[in-house]
Amino acid sequence: MTKPIDLRAGAVSLLILVTFLLAWHLTVSGGSGVQKMDPEYAKLMGITTTQGKSAMPGPLDVGATLWGHLKDPFYVRGTNDVGLGLQLGHSILRVMAGYLLAMAVAIPLGFLIGMSPLMSRALDPFIQVLKPISPLAWMPLALYTIKDSGASAIFVIFICSVWPMLINTAFGVANVRKEWINVARTLEVGTFRKAFTVILPAAAPTIVTGMRISIGIAWLVIVAAEMLVGGTGIGYFVWNEWNNLSITNVITAILVIGVVGMLLDQLLARLGRLVTFPE
Amino acid sequence: MQDRYISIEGISRAYPAPGGGVTTIFDDLWLGVARGEFVAVIGHSGCGKTTVLNILAGLDVPSSGVVVVDGKAIEGPSLDRAVIFQSHALLPWKSALGNVAYAVASRWPKWSRGEVSAKAMAAIRLVGLEHAAERRPAELSGGMKQRVGIARALSIDPKILLMDEPFSALDALTRGTLQDEVRNICVETGQTVFMITHDVDEAIYLADKIVLMTNGPGARIAEIVVNPLPDGRTRNDVHRHPAYYPLRNHIIDFLVTRSKSFDGELAAGRPWDARNPPLVNPVAPERAPLAPVPVPAGPSGEAVEAGPVLTQAQRRRTT
Amino acid sequence: MSTFDNPFDVAQKPAKRCGCSCGQHSTQGEHDAAATRAKAEAEFVATAGEEQRARRVVEAGVMRALFPNPVQRRAFLKAVGATTAAAALAQVFPVMTAADALAAGGTPEKKDLKVGFIPITCATPIIMAHPMGFYGKQGLNVEVVKTAGWAVIRDKTLNKEYDAAHMLSPMPLAISLGLGSTAVPFTVPAIENVNGQAITLAMKHKDNRDPKNWKGMKFAIPFDYSMHNYLLRYYLAEHGLDPDKDVQLRSVPPPEMVANLRADNIDGFLAPDNICQRAVFDGVGFNHILSKEIWDGHPCCAFAASKAFVTEAPNAYGALLRAIIEAAAFASKADNRKQIADAIAPANYLNAPVTVLEQVLTGTYADGLGNVKKDPNRVTFDPFPWESFAVWMLTQMKRWGQLKGDVDYQGIAKEVFLQTDAVRLMKEAGLTPPEASTKTFAVMGKTFDPAKPEDYLASFAIKRSS
Repeated sequence: MTKPIDLRAGAVSLLILVTFLLAWHLTVSGGSGVQKMDPEYAKLMGITTTQGKSAMPGPLDVGATLWGHLKDPFYVRGTNDVGLGLQLGHSILRVMAGYLLAMAVAIPLGFLIGMSPLMSRALDPFIQVLKPISPLAWMPLALYTIKDSGASAIFVIFICSVWPMLINTAFGVANVRKEWINVARTLEVGTFRKAFTVILPAAAPTIVTGMRISIGIAWLVIVAAEMLVGGTGIGYFVWNEWNNLSITNVITAILVIGVVGMLLDQLLARLGRLVTFPE
Repeated sequence: MQDRYISIEGISRAYPAPGGGVTTIFDDLWLGVARGEFVAVIGHSGCGKTTVLNILAGLDVPSSGVVVVDGKAIEGPSLDRAVIFQSHALLPWKSALGNVAYAVASRWPKWSRGEVSAKAMAAIRLVGLEHAAERRPAELSGGMKQRVGIARALSIDPKILLMDEPFSALDALTRGTLQDEVRNICVETGQTVFMITHDVDEAIYLADKIVLMTNGPGARIAEIVVNPLPDGRTRNDVHRHPAYYPLRNHIIDFLVTRSKSFDGELAAGRPWDARNPPLVNPVAPERAPLAPVPVPAGPSGEAVEAGPVLTQAQRRRTT
Repeated sequence: MSTFDNPFDVAQKPAKRCGCSCGQHSTQGEHDAAATRAKAEAEFVATAGEEQRARRVVEAGVMRALFPNPVQRRAFLKAVGATTAAAALAQVFPVMTAADALAAGGTPEKKDLKVGFIPITCATPIIMAHPMGFYGKQGLNVEVVKTAGWAVIRDKTLNKEYDAAHMLSPMPLAISLGLGSTAVPFTVPAIENVNGQAITLAMKHKDNRDPKNWKGMKFAIPFDYSMHNYLLRYYLAEHGLDPDKDVQLRSVPPPEMVANLRADNIDGFLAPDNICQRAVFDGVGFNHILSKEIWDGHPCCAFAASKAFVTEAPNAYGALLRAIIEAAAFASKADNRKQIADAIAPANYLNAPVTVLEQVLTGTYADGLGNVKKDPNRVTFDPFPWESFAVWMLTQMKRWGQLKGDVDYQGIAKEVFLQTDAVRLMKEAGLTPPEASTKTFAVMGKTFDPAKPEDYLASFAIKRSS
């Protein structure tokens, strides 16, 4: 029963895709009337004006550009022009650095908050105030205090991914079933062993859910952060191509960002399945 | 004075009432449990019997009073006192064997993996679950889960077994089988057991002594009923024993009426000492030839000072 | 004061100095030893034309070594005269030997430098120096890093991620004064380009060419502390519009300007080129006027470095500045412009169509209204950082309320715009530095006298400050 459903769903997906691409193609290929102009003048103008081509690229343009990037993803043609694969690599490394830092802070701190009602209450006002701040709002402050744009970008990733992990860890830890804790207590299990053998596995599904939310946010934010800071990364690529008003490359980058974001999410989803236990 | 392996000494539990003042759930409880004795506490919900068990386990502390076990006041949980939880409380991410092994490794932290595993497997075998040792709790039936819980408790060779309504979540058939198994194991190992229940038949079948608690708030131990049934009782014939119905009726009468009216009885001048709740044999000696100890008790079930009562284990030793 | 201030200059202001001439070594002896080590390397670079300037540099170093205290040095120079002093020095010190060693201007303290730029044609000298080898010729390995915006380039330079950077020429003044950032002494050793901006309007305004009718329109400028801002305000005010009340001015990053114009969010902008020509190229707007029609010869962007870099790594700074000045000199020749357009167009640099860059650099351009216009001075490259430019910018900062209270116009201008360095280095690059030490100029027909900034300011009807 599942297979036919999967098959049919796939067919519908494909149909939607084809319809969308076709509609896109038809919308942008309809050239408007071309004005008569002096050939000398025309030589100085772009094809949008001379041939009436739409400023919006079609799916074929994007496909060709994407293929071009995929064929040669790791070239280096100077500081400001490296392949899409390298740009992605930079972004992923930044995300990983900020994300791992956030994990290193959020999970122990979440344990503390979850296990200690005192700390939970004491830290709550800070978390409530800091959590809703847009990560990019930290950027000027980070640049000013850290004095390094790379580290600032990592800091911004850190600050945006720390909250879901922190809150989920604290929630997961605080809501570990009392009876499991009691089992550990009656077995005279020490605090650390209890934290690792009972609380961590019990809270793991909640923690990983937080991590999954975090990686999504981190990937959203890195693009914006790199557009601000520039230099390297997929966000810089978008900015650089926008600077050149190359919508084709921007759309290509959007596609790539989406795919990588999906892969990161799937990675965490897989991790989530590993730590989830049926009750 | 009888051997008091476990000695509950004047414990009470109170918490601030919503409208100011203090609500006392139970007050000034005194109870002794001898080594090898199987004691069941029965009472209505809200009388604080689970709290009493948690205090015994060291998971909870009394507002006042102490519990002394083997000459030492309880200061927290101990591996000497194993708990079988009402809801089995298995760690769902570990297999049945893993759950038991976790307890074994906690008990003997220096043991090798193989030793731990062997000991855990022995416990699993004791409850007849060797075929399901690698299954996770979610893949086990309710009865099997509780068996794992029992195996876990037994695996650490506890001095005392604390059971909090261990069979209440099970269907009648499974409950019966498990009761048999528990009774067999306890009889064989001479385990000291403190059990909370609200199932009268369970108490009659399993316990040497049945502690009757009045309703909360302000719950007390009204009396301690000595089980007059023979050690060799089985679940299938226990209800055919002549002492069965008097015993059962006595307990049910208590639960139905006296658990509420007990305070009135006291006010009416019934002699009662909180430190020494009366030991009662509800079966008249002449009607209960099998009762090993004649307890002078009136047919009305009036409390009288009891003499020394043999525990199940003591009796076993004498036979 | 930088190391490249002329130590023979009596008029110099006193400043702290210790150790050797380059500031890198604790004693002059050490410095000279290092210089000798560099000799072999320097001989490769040295050419006949450079010997003359190298000698001057060494003389300067010796002069400084003999008189580390500038007060004493000035006293000595006053007493004997600069020429005599130099001649006397030559007698007692083997200047020629040291001059050979320092033919390239002294070994740079660091060879790997980072210079930030914003991808607009103003940055031409900074960018082209990379592919066309001007940095390499000075023995430098410079990485030119494309940067996302003016605030970012400011912060990265303040953070020392960049050793030097492309900035809007009022920015170093603002940074030195602590406007919009912490006050950090900054310098403008060279102007990058002159002219090179335009007022571009959306196509719907092609018949709305009189600024008097522009009330209520929305304009984009690249940054608050920019010549673009001051020139647009000036232009509007001269036409009777109060730029703070009658129109809306928005700071918009250059790449967003064309997109915003297309989306009809703004009516026009005064932007750096190639943005203006790009709007024309994409058929989104037309060039209303070039900025040179407001003020012919106005400075646009600057090559900026912190004072700390100038004093801490004077040789690297000197080499870098020589590269920029020589690049600017190369770019100032109209014949070279097409070649430059090709060099700076790739994605690594401007990432813009060559056609657009050529139109900007050669001055033969489509105006967006169907005409091909020719103006070879649409953008030119003259590195000379006139102090009077700085004074004019300060008057405009005060005019529009960015700067308040009494302003030491000349003092700030002298601190930030390193006119003196430029004179010497332009000579070394074979360029002719201006003879005059101040420049008067006219903005929209109104003459500016840098000696009387307050009077100039008072003459405006529309202004924020009194």
